[in-house]
Amino acid sequence: MFEQGRISSVNSVSLSINGKSFPSLRMRSAPRFRVSCAAKPETVDKVCQIVKKQLALPADTTVTGESKFAALGADSLDTVEIVMGLEEEFGISVEEESAQTISTVQDAADLIEKLIETKSA
Amino acid sequence: MVLVLGAGCCFVKGYVVEHLLHFRLLAKLSQGRMFSFVSKRLSLMMMTKVCCFQRNFSSALPPLVPVKLPSKMETHFWYVLPDEVKSESLLSQYSELLSPREKKNLYHMQGDQFKKSALLARVLVRTTIARYQTNCQVNPRSLKFKKTIYGKPEVDWENGDKWCPPPLHFNISHTSSLVACGVTVNVPIGIDVEEKQRRLKNKILAFAKRYFSPDEVKLLTAISDPEIQRQEFIKLWTLKEAYVKAVGRGFSAAPFNTFTIRARVVKMGGFHHFDTQHSEASEIVVESSDDPENLTRNWQFALLDLAGSHYAAICIEKENSAGGEAGVPMRLTVWKTIPFVEDERVSGTGAVVPISGLIKQL
Repeated sequence: MFEQGRISSVNSVSLSINGKSFPSLRMRSAPRFRVSCAAKPETVDKVCQIVKKQLALPADTTVTGESKFAALGADSLDTVEIVMGLEEEFGISVEEESAQTISTVQDAADLIEKLIETKSA
Repeated sequence: MVLVLGAGCCFVKGYVVEHLLHFRLLAKLSQGRMFSFVSKRLSLMMMTKVCCFQRNFSSALPPLVPVKLPSKMETHFWYVLPDEVKSESLLSQYSELLSPREKKNLYHMQGDQFKKSALLARVLVRTTIARYQTNCQVNPRSLKFKKTIYGKPEVDWENGDKWCPPPLHFNISHTSSLVACGVTVNVPIGIDVEEKQRRLKNKILAFAKRYFSPDEVKLLTAISDPEIQRQEFIKLWTLKEAYVKAVGRGFSAAPFNTFTIRARVVKMGGFHHFDTQHSEASEIVVESSDDPENLTRNWQFALLDLAGSHYAAICIEKENSAGGEAGVPMRLTVWKTIPFVEDERVSGTGAVVPISGLIKQL
């Protein structure tokens, strides 16, 4: 059975038929493609380490890119401390507006790489 | 001494026990005192008798005891100590009050202490708001919550089961050892609680230099004793958090380093009677480097030592009529509670020690 695809962004549509999803078909629009990169695994690992240390999580706690800070027990002070730890580790500066948008480890790693890129550009 | 109903035999639909509970809570709320020894013994005996009789029956949560809304000039503050909630069956009944999304969030949380306090935070806010609905019965489970565009939580009355919105404002905060909810009528409120023993992983001054205002850094730097410096840091943090939460527009509207919070000595005199042993009271004020005029003159603060273990900061907006008038205290009532089980009014007792801010405990 054919299921209506969901438009998730202007440039791409993903179709799913019988629950199996097909790769997105990118539609051409004006000058260029927009490709988003997820952060390198090493960055994600580093963030996980800093988060584990800040929250004093037991060694066997699973922390991955998908882990939400709130679910790990981080309150607002912890979150700010984590951001500060990330700033020191990666030599970046995170504005409060951006810090507010971080809810998972992956968000943090992506933001870090973006800031590093902007810094070296 | 406070009567705590034992696990497993309290939540009965028996007529006698319900009324006993109701009576006990009403008495406490109206008097704000413990029962006399005689009535304590009597009620304990009666309850034990009925409890034992009902023990084999299936348990269910008793109805919530309603509470009168704070008046326009009052703030209500409720808190739960997770360590006092030991009953597994009670906790399980609590989780039934949560929305599907809240249950899902809870499921994904790591750490038992943290999970428990997160559960109690949702239960406290739901039951507290439900209890203030004196005009129509509201089931705490049916309350729906939404966030403003800035992310501040509020009750979603339109999508809930009933349409009886009172003009109440609330804010919650919790640590793994204390869960709190502040309530006002007509004015926004923000609260923050923090364990007194909280230690930073980073160096205090490095943190302050990065996030606090220059004046605040100066104040902290001037404190030579590291322990006092740490305590002042935590107090300042809770006040700043409470302010940002009261303003309700997220950190980007009020980045921490753009405003300074400090205590200002106010001469006593006139009509106002403050809860302080000193002859001079200190008022907490906020000054913004971005907006020196209007925004900051409207906010009133209280800083408390709560339950001996936490600093609690409360920030409310002053009503227009009182705006600009110096020296008006925050009228505050504080209850320690276990939802569905008991309330204990603790304002004016050793559980609530004012640290700064103009406060009148009721």
